[in-house]
Amino acid sequence: MTSDEALMLEFQGGSRAAFEELFARYHKPLYGFFGRRLNNPERAEDLTQETFLAVIRAVSRYEPRASVRTYLYGIALKLLAAERRKFLTSSASGQSTTEPRTGGTPECVLWVRQALEKLDAPEREILMLREYEQLSYSDIAELLRIPVNTVRSRLFRSRLALKNHLGSEARSNPALRASTGQPHPGRRGMQ
Amino acid sequence: MSTNRHPIEQEELMAYLDGELPADQATTALSHMETCPECETVAADFRSVSRELTAWEVESPEVGIPSEINAALGERLQKREAAKIDSGRVKNRVINNRWVWAGALAIVCVAMGLKLTLTSRNRNEAAGMPALDRSTVYPSMASIEQYLIPDRNTEIALARSAAPESISSDAKILVLGWRGYETAIEGRNGFVCIVERSWISPFNSSEFWNPRIRVPQCFNPAAARSILPLTIKRTEMVLAGLSKAQMIDSIRAGFDNKDLPAPEPGAMSYMMSRAGYLNDVLGHHVPHLMFYFPLTDKASWGADLPESPVTLNPQFQGGPEPITEFVIPVGKWSDGTAAPAM
Repeated sequence: MTSDEALMLEFQGGSRAAFEELFARYHKPLYGFFGRRLNNPERAEDLTQETFLAVIRAVSRYEPRASVRTYLYGIALKLLAAERRKFLTSSASGQSTTEPRTGGTPECVLWVRQALEKLDAPEREILMLREYEQLSYSDIAELLRIPVNTVRSRLFRSRLALKNHLGSEARSNPALRASTGQPHPGRRGMQ
Repeated sequence: MSTNRHPIEQEELMAYLDGELPADQATTALSHMETCPECETVAADFRSVSRELTAWEVESPEVGIPSEINAALGERLQKREAAKIDSGRVKNRVINNRWVWAGALAIVCVAMGLKLTLTSRNRNEAAGMPALDRSTVYPSMASIEQYLIPDRNTEIALARSAAPESISSDAKILVLGWRGYETAIEGRNGFVCIVERSWISPFNSSEFWNPRIRVPQCFNPAAARSILPLTIKRTEMVLAGLSKAQMIDSIRAGFDNKDLPAPEPGAMSYMMSRAGYLNDVLGHHVPHLMFYFPLTDKASWGADLPESPVTLNPQFQGGPEPITEFVIPVGKWSDGTAAPAM
């Protein structure tokens, strides 16, 4: 299988097929990245497209210093930060905002989301980058511009905290425990 | 968790489960976990948290490339073509100007020096390595102690981690001693598990003498009879102090006079350990299976073609062993946990 980095260099050299392959590989992961952080499917799709547009615009300057995966999530994090700033501004001025949507969401998902929301924001971001985006400690360190040891210690704290939050939710609603916990095929992480 | 009873902290245990511990610490963690119910419970808790997070799936719409992206893509590719044409015209204009040539030559010399330095540094940084030339880092064999694993049980556990327990628990286990590989545990199923060292790398590899390399591998019976002897032979020659040239000659002679066997039909091996260390570039790499054949064209398996999951491992490939080795990644480590995405 051609590596992401080779595809990116082929795209830089003018290959449309290489870009199409990168789009096929990363559309779903990037949509998931935005979807979990914004809870707004339309904005998630918009920002996913924005990420690919940014790749197209910057391709001539691309250098294979980091993995393409890290490069893409670096763009995505910047777009997300801008989106959140916009959200805060529009909230402050009383304009309509992208409120999280919860209608139709299974209870076990709400449970996980509520547990994640209880974490400190920096620790939650590291945990999500690891668990959902499947980034290595060094990738996360590079993206967030913090030392690898800090990534590891924060990830450790966040997992312990999340375990407690999930445990307390389960104690208050035992029925939830039965509805989750099945292994998910094809994912990285501790399963 | 006290370090008096536990050689690793809980945070390190978590890093091990994430495949983020260096090989030496990973082997310690693996060995300890097999005998420590307390650590196994902690590990189960970490796994449980990861598993529960998977409940939150985000379904993405099935979309082709949107028109806006298609348009931007088309524009970018057109601009690139136009730039190429312009660049050709400029080149024609300056080609006869000797002062332009002289200036350009000076710039190229400076830029080449800078580029070589930066490229080397960037590649190494991307691989998590300091900016070093590995061929100068491992120029010759280190002391034998550096290749040995002091604790025999750790090496046994590491060797077994190459394949799922259902295979490795009944396999014969070899460990490396001062005089070569020796049997640590007799097997019952014909498989042989071993931790290979750096000298199983291609002879022209810059990491041929890297003492950090630990390659857990379980050979099936056909490979144990026909591929494992190569590891044994190389190891004997290394410990005897032969030069690379002498080793190559000896291997060639071994195949010529049939002392070394050709790969048997069906020869394959498991390399699914999350605690291995393949080299400074690949690190733990990904779990995979390897299949062995007499020297053949990689096209016969579609290896290294776009989207093909099969790659050719250059480990042998006539250098000098007349053996072709194909690699196919698999989705899980030997302990059943999911592997990183390729």
